[in-house]
Amino acid sequence: MNATMTPAANPAVALEELARWFERAPSSDAPWLAEMRRRALAHFRDVGFPTTRQEEWRWTNVAPIAKTRFQSAAPADLVEPSRREIFHRMAPYAPRSLGGYEIVFINGVHAPELSTAAAPAIQITTLQDAMARHGAMVRAHLGREAPWEQNGFAALNTAGFRDGAFIHVPDGVVVDKPVHLLFFNAAGRAPAPLLVQPRNLVLIGAGAHLVLACVYAGQDAAAALTNTVLEMVLGEAAQVELVKLQCASDEAFHVAHEAVRLQAAANLLSLTLNLGGGLVRNNLSVRLDGPGAQATLHGLTLAAGRRHVDNHTLLDHACENSTSHELYKYLLAQRAGGVFRGKILVRPGAQKTDARQTSKTILLSDEASMNSQPQLEIYADDVKCTHGSTTGPLDDEQIFYLRSRGIAAAPARALLTYAFAGDVLQRVRHAPWRQYLETLVAGELQRLHIEKAST
Amino acid sequence: MHIVVRCGAALRAPKNKECLMPLLEIKDLRAAVGGREILKGINLTIEIGRVHAIMGPNGSGKSTLASVLAGRETYEVTGGQVLFHGKDLLALAPEERAGEGVFMAFQYPVEIPGVSTSYFLKAALNAIRKYHAQEELDAMDFLQRIKDKMKLLQMDPSFLNRSVNEGFSGGEKKRNEILQMALLEPRLAIMDETDSGLDIDALKIVADGVNALRGPERAILVVTHYQRLLNYIVPDFVHVLRDGKIIKSGDKNLALELEARGYGWLEGATAAA
Repeated sequence: MNATMTPAANPAVALEELARWFERAPSSDAPWLAEMRRRALAHFRDVGFPTTRQEEWRWTNVAPIAKTRFQSAAPADLVEPSRREIFHRMAPYAPRSLGGYEIVFINGVHAPELSTAAAPAIQITTLQDAMARHGAMVRAHLGREAPWEQNGFAALNTAGFRDGAFIHVPDGVVVDKPVHLLFFNAAGRAPAPLLVQPRNLVLIGAGAHLVLACVYAGQDAAAALTNTVLEMVLGEAAQVELVKLQCASDEAFHVAHEAVRLQAAANLLSLTLNLGGGLVRNNLSVRLDGPGAQATLHGLTLAAGRRHVDNHTLLDHACENSTSHELYKYLLAQRAGGVFRGKILVRPGAQKTDARQTSKTILLSDEASMNSQPQLEIYADDVKCTHGSTTGPLDDEQIFYLRSRGIAAAPARALLTYAFAGDVLQRVRHAPWRQYLETLVAGELQRLHIEKAST
Repeated sequence: MHIVVRCGAALRAPKNKECLMPLLEIKDLRAAVGGREILKGINLTIEIGRVHAIMGPNGSGKSTLASVLAGRETYEVTGGQVLFHGKDLLALAPEERAGEGVFMAFQYPVEIPGVSTSYFLKAALNAIRKYHAQEELDAMDFLQRIKDKMKLLQMDPSFLNRSVNEGFSGGEKKRNEILQMALLEPRLAIMDETDSGLDIDALKIVADGVNALRGPERAILVVTHYQRLLNYIVPDFVHVLRDGKIIKSGDKNLALELEARGYGWLEGATAAA
């Protein structure tokens, strides 16, 4: 770990420090939120950080997080010019050429001077602003879509989040450009690792269409914990393409709880792309809450070094006639570790559920490791649920096929590695984002290849 | 380059008495997989411009021979020698063999999700052009070239946008193999059970594609279990492989005889060998 980190001898000390820190924080919260925070903090004190003794955390040890003494990002640390500089250094992770409506947070703090002008017909603002102006709407959903009672990290976020994005797309509005939520971290002059806790709420009206990209990126050697929560609701027949791009620095921790609820005939297409982070845990929960709801979840993880990336997904089929397709892929080099745990829950009465889950991993070295586990809980009898998982090295037969056509071993391996990743990326529907991600991933793969050759 | 030109081949085309250059000389080739010997001393010379067929029952070593020639690493060559226009073929990597002009049409073509057929074919063609120090083709020249070849095999241009062999029918996969052969213009084309899994219409299309590529500039080695394919790709020579050895050689009539009498008819020959 980075030398700037000062692990406490006792994780309880770090945890107590956090708890006291949130208690002390001056607050302009509405009474309902103050009460929710108080309860969340009590819960966090009660359960603390999860341990590997808990089934849900069996393969991901968060002890390095629990031991770290974090500090909150203070706005005073980052005056406007340096925020602009940080933003420009991160630009490769959010090119302006994609032409999105952007809202930018540097170390968790809203940077209005870097965000683009408001979009017509829809609300893109900060959660703090939304609470001031649309308190009832926020109150109806915040903490309800992503319940924090089940998990220390979600409770920690609820207790201590500072801000985040609020998006509201009214009924029937087809948003003409993608919306980009950009979360950039940079250590700057911070003496200790930063704790950044974005809290995002996205409400999509009936029949509305939106492409939403959430980008989390960290500058080199920016040790930090990003503990983020996204709550999203899709109204009837709404259509959302959600792209999450996680490019935290190799020293950083990234923990996310993303909860999406789909009403009847709503359609979610999501991609979770992990290119960075030292210790990463994504929890993506999708509740299919109305007939005809359809969720398609894709995931791609590239990891090398000693990085550890864990994706947990939950597809909660809560009514009849809903569909979920899931494809998660991992490319793991050196001593990287991957985890995939995909739970499919078919609730009583959720007949005609169609759920398909696939996870595929290529191990590019003997030291890389993968744990993959499907988990099916089915309480209805007329359903179609399938799952499949493969883990192994590159396919020798594919390599031989390419070599027998004149393509040498090294480019054949590179081509197959890219193809494995490209198979996921080509499922991105928004063409400019697809092309951008294809270029970004090709570059990252080249970097992986170089790292591989140098070890 | 050292080229051996000789007339000492065991077989000579019945209608053609002149001396041809041997393209491929297999001498006492032995190969094993997992310590078990499969090829037990193969001797075979193939001259350029000729079509040879290797027939044999399951487990006789037909596909092993094809794979060893193409360079599949799961087989261990335990003895013998293979010269390809005078070069030591067994010393070359699979991609170098392809560069030299060896092409194997796979019995089970591999699916490669995420790689478009067009990208794959262009990469293969340019790899082989590079081997010969030729300039790489740009996208326009490549497309022109591949579209002409696709017409020959009655393939729709939409094939080019699909991932290599992914979701292809059996017939489409085999046509894709012949398309690659047409594009790469090998000197030795090895057809490994190309007829397996094909209905008669697909078989005719594939055979027409192969026949269009017959000519004085290349040799073709057809490996098959059944005589059926040889009605459409008529060989100059037929060899029967059994238990890792060639036990009988003849002209195209040998295939017909095998069809009529079955492999059991050659039991005596095995005993004699």
